[in-house]
Amino acid sequence: MNEEKKTAGERAAQALVSNAESAVPGEEKAKASAAVKGEADDENKIFRKFRIKDIVFLAIMAACMLVTGAIMPLVGQIPVFGIVQVCLGLQFSVFPVIGMMKVRKTGSLLFMAVCCGVVLVFMSTVMFICILLCAVIAEVLAALIFRGYKKDGASLFAGIVFFPLTLPLLYIYYNFLYTVTDETGEAVSAFIGADPVIAAAMSFAVLAVCAVGSVVGLVISRELRKSGVMKK
Amino acid sequence: MALWNKKLYPLVAIVSGLFVIVFGLVMAKELLACSIFLGAVFVWLMLFGCVRPCLRALPAFIAAAGIFFGIFYAATGTFEAGWSMANRFGAVFLAIVPGMSATPVRMTRSLSQVHMPRAVTLGMLIAMSFVPMLKEEIARVREAMKTRGAGSILNLKIFYRAFLVPLVMRLVNISDTLALSVETRGFALGKARYTIYKKERIALSDAVYVAGLIAGAVLTAAL
Repeated sequence: MNEEKKTAGERAAQALVSNAESAVPGEEKAKASAAVKGEADDENKIFRKFRIKDIVFLAIMAACMLVTGAIMPLVGQIPVFGIVQVCLGLQFSVFPVIGMMKVRKTGSLLFMAVCCGVVLVFMSTVMFICILLCAVIAEVLAALIFRGYKKDGASLFAGIVFFPLTLPLLYIYYNFLYTVTDETGEAVSAFIGADPVIAAAMSFAVLAVCAVGSVVGLVISRELRKSGVMKK
Repeated sequence: MALWNKKLYPLVAIVSGLFVIVFGLVMAKELLACSIFLGAVFVWLMLFGCVRPCLRALPAFIAAAGIFFGIFYAATGTFEAGWSMANRFGAVFLAIVPGMSATPVRMTRSLSQVHMPRAVTLGMLIAMSFVPMLKEEIARVREAMKTRGAGSILNLKIFYRAFLVPLVMRLVNISDTLALSVETRGFALGKARYTIYKKERIALSDAVYVAGLIAGAVLTAAL
């Protein structure tokens, strides 16, 4: 009796499976498997297409950078080399790293920089240009060294490198502005030239702040991924 | 071309903001001339529909410029250094005003009209309109901290565990919901065609505004 029941159950299960298989025609099945294969291939590419989900998350991270970076017009006018980077280094490394950890696609950092820069351009045009250039450089470095943001280390690296890269660009800008357009020339020394020790110390401080911020961003992302909130 | 728009055309607003900040910073050392130029721009902006942003920016400018004027006066002992700094701040705050007058929606519309990539316009729209929402979220998280008796936000451990992590968690959740909402409203990336129902048009008022700005700059440079 039990065996009869078992065989009847097996037959029913077999019928269900065959029915399900026949419900997917050959072409559709092939298409589905091709789509899955395509997705898997896409995962291995350096340049991958952005989806709306990615754009929205990166834009929100950019908004966070924007809100926390609102002090830029104030500190931007203080003639101390690297003061902007020291004040904003933390937030400009925490949020980009979280963004890159969620959206592991080349161009994420640049996209955040563009979204953030749209408003920053009015506050500090020079910083806007610097940020865009640095985002491009950081992206290129991450693509060359890590082949994208598949590894956590790539996001960490880009986060650490991104903001300190603005220092040499600002050095060039200050040199240009205060030696070429200003007749006194004193401002140059006020910014950088006077005491190289201070300039070096500030650069080191910027690097340290950005490193701390990037690690914080990485830890938060890992924690959120562990808890299931942050999915790829 | 429309005759007179109450608000500036968004792209004109962006470009004029850039012009004011660059010109203002370059001319900051020409103390009186730059101050007159910035004052004239302030009045000009108020005439072209930026009354509210101008009045909003004014107290912030007075506070910031006053503080830095004091610092520079105390540091250098010269009145000129403080004045130059006030000019710089004037340029920065005036550059923000035209941008404040253009709402994110109008900005997105006009950028879409000039065929800016959809991803960029969408990202900008979200980044610009999300700021007030973000402030609300921050207030909520802080409220939750108070309710739980989490302690001072100045304590780094508390800041990380009770503020930063919940905030980012909320942001991730909001982004998921927002993405879904954006998709259901028909936003698509790539080369998908879309219709702009309400087009932003440049008006004669924009031309007059730009002409006035350029004339002011030329006069300042000449004097």
